[in-house]
Amino acid sequence: MLLFRSLLCAIGLAGVVYAKSSKGDSVLVVVEPKQQDNYSIFFNGLREQGYDITFRAPKAETPAVIEFDAPSFAHVILFAPDTKILAKDLTPQSVVDLLSHNTNVIVALSSKQTAISTLAAEFSLVLPPPGSPLMSYFPERTDPATVVPVPVPASHPMLTPNLPPVWFSGVPHSLGNNPLLVPILRAPSESFAAEIDGGSADALVDAAERGGEGLWAGSQLGLVTGFQTLNGARITWVGGVDIFSDEFANKEVVKGLKSGNEQFVRDISAWTFHESMVLRIDETTHHRVNSTTPLEQYTTNDQIVYEARISSYDPKTTTWVPYSGLKDLQLEFTMLDPHIRTALLPVKGQPGKYSVTFRAPDRHGVFKFVINYKRKGLTYLQSSTTVAVVPPRHDGYPRFLSAAWPYYTGAISTSIAFFLFSAIWLAADSRDQKKGKGHKSE
Amino acid sequence: MPEAYPLPSNLSSATVTNTASLLRIVTLALISGAAIASRLFAVINFESIIHEFDPWFNYRATRVLATKGFYEFWNWFDPTAWYPLGRVVGGTVYPGLMATSGVIYNLLHALNLPVDIRNVCVLLAPGFSALTAWATYMFTKEMKDPSAGLLAAAFIGIVPGYISRSVAGSYDNEAIAIFLLMFTFYCWIKALKQGSALFGTVAAVFYFYMVAAWGGYVFITNMIPLHALVLILMGRFSNRLYAAYSSWYAIGTLASMQVPFVGFQPVKTSEHMAALAVFGLLQIVAFAQLVRSHVSSQQFQKLLFIGVVAIGILGAAAFGIMTLKGWIAPWTGRFYSLWDTGYAKKYIPIIASVSEHQPTAWPSFFMDLQFLIFLFPAGVVVCFRQLRDEHLFVIIYAVMASYFAGVMVRLMLTLTPVVCVASAVALSTLLDTYIDPTEPEINDDTVSESGASTASAPAPGANGTSHPTTPKKTKKAVPPPQSTSALGQIIAASRSSNNKPRPKGIFGADTRLMVVFNAMCLLAFFVFHCTWVTSSAYSSPSVVLASTNPDGSQHIIDDFREAYYWLRQNTQEDSVVLSWWDYGYQIAGMADRPTLVDNNTWNNTHIATVGKVMASSEEVAYPILRKHDVQYILVIFGGLLGYSGDDINKFLWMVRIAQGIWPDEVQEPSFFTPRGEYKVDDQASPTMRNSMMYKMSYYRFAELFGGNAATDRVRQQQLPKVGPTLDYVDEAFTSENWIVRIYEVKKEDPLGRDHKSANAFSQGKKRKRTKPAQRRRAIL
Amino acid sequence: MKSFSFIFALLSLPFCIANTQDAVHKQLVELAVAGNGVIKLDPKSFDLITSPKRNWSAAIQLTALDKRRRCLPCNDFDPSFNAVAKAWATTSKKNRDNHFFATLDFDDGQVVFQKLGLTSAPVVQVYPAVEGPRAPANGKVAPIPYDFSSGYEASTLAEAMSRYTPVVIPYSDPIDWARYSTFAAGLLAFTVMLRFIAPILQSRWTWATISIGLSLIMTSGYMFVRIRGSPYAAQDGSWIAGGYQNQYGQEVSVIAFIYGLLAFAFLMLIMVIPYQMSPNRQRLQVYLWTGVIMIIYSILISIFRVKNRGYPFKLFL
Repeated sequence: MLLFRSLLCAIGLAGVVYAKSSKGDSVLVVVEPKQQDNYSIFFNGLREQGYDITFRAPKAETPAVIEFDAPSFAHVILFAPDTKILAKDLTPQSVVDLLSHNTNVIVALSSKQTAISTLAAEFSLVLPPPGSPLMSYFPERTDPATVVPVPVPASHPMLTPNLPPVWFSGVPHSLGNNPLLVPILRAPSESFAAEIDGGSADALVDAAERGGEGLWAGSQLGLVTGFQTLNGARITWVGGVDIFSDEFANKEVVKGLKSGNEQFVRDISAWTFHESMVLRIDETTHHRVNSTTPLEQYTTNDQIVYEARISSYDPKTTTWVPYSGLKDLQLEFTMLDPHIRTALLPVKGQPGKYSVTFRAPDRHGVFKFVINYKRKGLTYLQSSTTVAVVPPRHDGYPRFLSAAWPYYTGAISTSIAFFLFSAIWLAADSRDQKKGKGHKSE
Repeated sequence: MPEAYPLPSNLSSATVTNTASLLRIVTLALISGAAIASRLFAVINFESIIHEFDPWFNYRATRVLATKGFYEFWNWFDPTAWYPLGRVVGGTVYPGLMATSGVIYNLLHALNLPVDIRNVCVLLAPGFSALTAWATYMFTKEMKDPSAGLLAAAFIGIVPGYISRSVAGSYDNEAIAIFLLMFTFYCWIKALKQGSALFGTVAAVFYFYMVAAWGGYVFITNMIPLHALVLILMGRFSNRLYAAYSSWYAIGTLASMQVPFVGFQPVKTSEHMAALAVFGLLQIVAFAQLVRSHVSSQQFQKLLFIGVVAIGILGAAAFGIMTLKGWIAPWTGRFYSLWDTGYAKKYIPIIASVSEHQPTAWPSFFMDLQFLIFLFPAGVVVCFRQLRDEHLFVIIYAVMASYFAGVMVRLMLTLTPVVCVASAVALSTLLDTYIDPTEPEINDDTVSESGASTASAPAPGANGTSHPTTPKKTKKAVPPPQSTSALGQIIAASRSSNNKPRPKGIFGADTRLMVVFNAMCLLAFFVFHCTWVTSSAYSSPSVVLASTNPDGSQHIIDDFREAYYWLRQNTQEDSVVLSWWDYGYQIAGMADRPTLVDNNTWNNTHIATVGKVMASSEEVAYPILRKHDVQYILVIFGGLLGYSGDDINKFLWMVRIAQGIWPDEVQEPSFFTPRGEYKVDDQASPTMRNSMMYKMSYYRFAELFGGNAATDRVRQQQLPKVGPTLDYVDEAFTSENWIVRIYEVKKEDPLGRDHKSANAFSQGKKRKRTKPAQRRRAIL
Repeated sequence: MKSFSFIFALLSLPFCIANTQDAVHKQLVELAVAGNGVIKLDPKSFDLITSPKRNWSAAIQLTALDKRRRCLPCNDFDPSFNAVAKAWATTSKKNRDNHFFATLDFDDGQVVFQKLGLTSAPVVQVYPAVEGPRAPANGKVAPIPYDFSSGYEASTLAEAMSRYTPVVIPYSDPIDWARYSTFAAGLLAFTVMLRFIAPILQSRWTWATISIGLSLIMTSGYMFVRIRGSPYAAQDGSWIAGGYQNQYGQEVSVIAFIYGLLAFAFLMLIMVIPYQMSPNRQRLQVYLWTGVIMIIYSILISIFRVKNRGYPFKLFL
């Protein structure tokens, strides 16, 4: 029975060559038709990138998101934060269903309590009480306090480095301890969430005490947060839909400096739509040292070589290129528990190839080569290959044991003695036989 | 001399003997035919299928051997058993059975008879039963004469006690082991009688075969030494004994150590120490005999006495020390539980949980042996009458075997042969006496007076243990044979030929007719009994169940194979199936899927893990399931059909075994109601109702009854209206009569939630608003 | 100011708790010594010993020893419990004072029984330490009931209790002098009598009787009765247990007797009758024993039919 199983990531299996995304280029945008034009920059940007966008009103039934249990779009954008109840194929349950079908989603929230905001809890995002948007009185500016310029982290793997601050208006959320969350944009440390008219500080504190949750304030609050499900689908939660709007894109943060919104939203959409930070394991092989054919079963204490080829997706050329950038990749050789856990390092001169040589444990059983590489933002690399480690064959043991000398000597001496005895006994039998012997010898 | 009925007188003795031998051969052939035929009920009633549990592994192993050859089989590492530990089959199996059928298979194919390996396996047991009949014939011939042998062969051929383990399809070690047992004993007796090292060696060879075939070889390993020891104690030591035993022990032990599974046990474990000790004792006694031939008897007495005592003490001391040092392993649990009968239940629940390790009630003795059971004591007494060495063997065998059979049901198998032999001896003696036509001439009644008067009570001290072949000088003082009672004289007359035999015989034809007719009736009844028992009780392959429809026709319940084939057809080839260990071999054999535990219960902890999964709640069980890569769980549920051998009835054993490893996580008392009852209805304890086993057994069971109360046909209890719910597993398959239920273990939730809340969400339940983890307080 | 005092109270709280606990502990130690290992409890002391702040563990036997309660198990078990407690009292002081054995009789503390919702006795509950170094790591401080399924022997109890005590309870079964002495006496008598009974020992018929007796008893299910501990006869006096896989003690004797009788009849036919030299007597005997065989055998069958309902065959009756 061939004990070979490999759970390659689903990435790239559905890859369409000409799409910018590695997952297909059909996008559904759920937005009120009349608001549609507020985000033209963003949508045009996507179109230029080669996505074909379908619009749909929040309450409209068609086009269906999932038909015959197959998703009809590769990506979905939900720009209807204020709609209380969306169409029945956009319930929270069906959004989760979309994700489990490897469809990527961008969700915009608002300070209203809607079905979508209840969904946030499933992703261990906690929203402030309804009707309390993010506010900040710093820096001094003419805009209302609810329109906040947020500094973008200078070096974030999925953002273009040192972007100017982005305008944000919407609700913050606090992050739970779910390891699958990918924080992208944090609130400014001097910002807080409260009812718009809850002007005075005391009112604020009282509100906080009433809620029993303390102040919704500070840089621990998230504004834009990604989430990558275990099966590789990506969803991005955006606190407010306006961050995508043309208005904010063109708005200046300081004199003469346009805000970073345009580039920022493109970056997050790039991440969400599997353009950036996409990796995959092309193949994994294993074999004994100085042989090439993979075996179904190894003997204990064999020297085993394990190799993996990893490539990353390049949105410019829409191709997969070998990737040797991973320095902290690990291989585990497990039976119930990891018997061996070792670094799987890139091979010099062979791009995309990672290899390690190790000695099989002195323990027979069914083992698995396991790669389980989960980093925030990056696609999860998971691979598990089952092999059996067997004890040596009956003729695989050393034949001659120096420890066994007593037995050897015993056996040899006994047989010699027996031979001598019988020889003498025969010889000393009777006279005529001796004579016969003598006769022969002549 | 008067005769009750005339015999043809014009026959030459040559003709008579020839006819006799011809008849013997024909009879043996017929007996073999009967033995084989009576074992084919299973095939006729059902089909040519492997039975029960262990045979499925043997069959699987045999297939490997037949396809890949012996060396591959020897080095076979089975990664699908005991996942993920795997099983080194070559080193943990008695290969004799597989090797035998492999040889037969290859032989047939060499003869261009393309027989399917399965049929070889199915029909192996009946075939060997014929050989067993022959071996028993030879053995009994040594005891008395060919006619007794024929009777014994006929008995063993059809006696249910042996058929129960050797019907067609029960492809288990016992199938060939009994033949090997009998033949080894025959060779031993032969060797002992003739003092031939050749027969000793043959015995050793067959002993080796037995070791390679069945763990029960230990019975031989202790039986033969015991016989030898008793002979020595009775002062019947002779060079014949010395030659026979030494050759058997030396060669047999060395050979037995070649079996990988046995290895060094013969020199390390207590079960084998008796043989070694007797071997040593024999050497000493032999040496003593040598010395005696040189020293005068008076000194010799002293010398011998001192010597034997000293050696005995030394030996005992050495044994004790080695045991303490741990060089000699103490008795393994299985054997120890034979003596201390409470041991197993307390310390090794796995052994105690096996049904065939339960003690035997008398009905099953009668069921298996019928009238032999009360005939064999008579046979033993007849053996006592002329107490030759081989008779001693039968006597010891009878006593030991009847004890073992009383302790364990499965050991009925070892009792059966000796019962057949002894009762055959008795019955044939009876027939000899009453068929023999010669009538004695009447003489005065004085002697028979006393004979009749004291006949009823066998008087003790009739005469000593002297024997033509015993050395003149034995350790025990032999009183001169003074015959105080008629019985004494009778025995003296019957045994020793030197003093003139007392007249004996039967008068009249009617008496003869009476007795012979009676005996014939008994035999006929026996035949009917055996046929009935075999066809009704012992011929069902527990893989397929049979019930009778109202109109009396047979209705086949085939849930097991239905489920196993579902697994085979609908699941990944390497998807691990978790079930209680009883079904491990069947899953591996029929569904060809990896299993966690199976019927060779070598790893208590692994079995306890399965027990824990079944006994604990879903949340506790799920991580264990994921850790062991379990994808399907299989439970047996008889509640709908009233199939009593289901998992709920075995559940307490699972709990006990799990408790043995995790005493503070699984506790047996918490599975009982406060009143200490084992219930599944609404009074069942919460632990019981939350356990995986309970949930998976009764999941959606209540719906089946549409509103009215669901009743469990096995427990005869009413199930609560609302059945249990499952979060971490999905029902994948349920067989026609719900006997087998298969559940699929869910993968992790893509959002990293636990399945309980995930289910709650997908059913649209509102989750209560969680507070943010991180807070700030107002500083005033 | 108020807050200050409050804080002081807060600070002093642990001490006073500790004090009270120490007092209780001292008291318990004295009680234990007084009752040579076993503390006789009443509802009040029960609450003390099971106080939620205890830093000791306790094994408490809840029983009903009074004759009027007619609790036989209680009286069977009580000595074992006391024996184990006594053995525990012999351990070194610092170990001994960390674990107590206590007993509460139903008549002294019905309230406790009601509080614990106990309907049966005896019950042994182990209360692990809640505080202090001996508090269980898994934090389970709920009382652990002792499982009586392994019987009332002191040895098993000691084995089980040792899991909860700081050190293993040094309990060992008392040596059964009576048994040893009788055994020794028997051996002595045997050796003395040896020369007289030697002829008996050397007679094969002694051994014949012994071995036949043995195999008869074994084959009539003696070991089953022994291992399963099934009663000699049912309460209602019926001596045949229903069911194929079950039997009572009395069946052993009856069945063994029947087997023996049948075997004996055959032996008569084989070994005695042929030597009867008077035709008429011989004929008579033949008929007699053949008849015996037929009758007894058919009786045996009918008994077997009781055990195994489905058995289709029968003889004369």
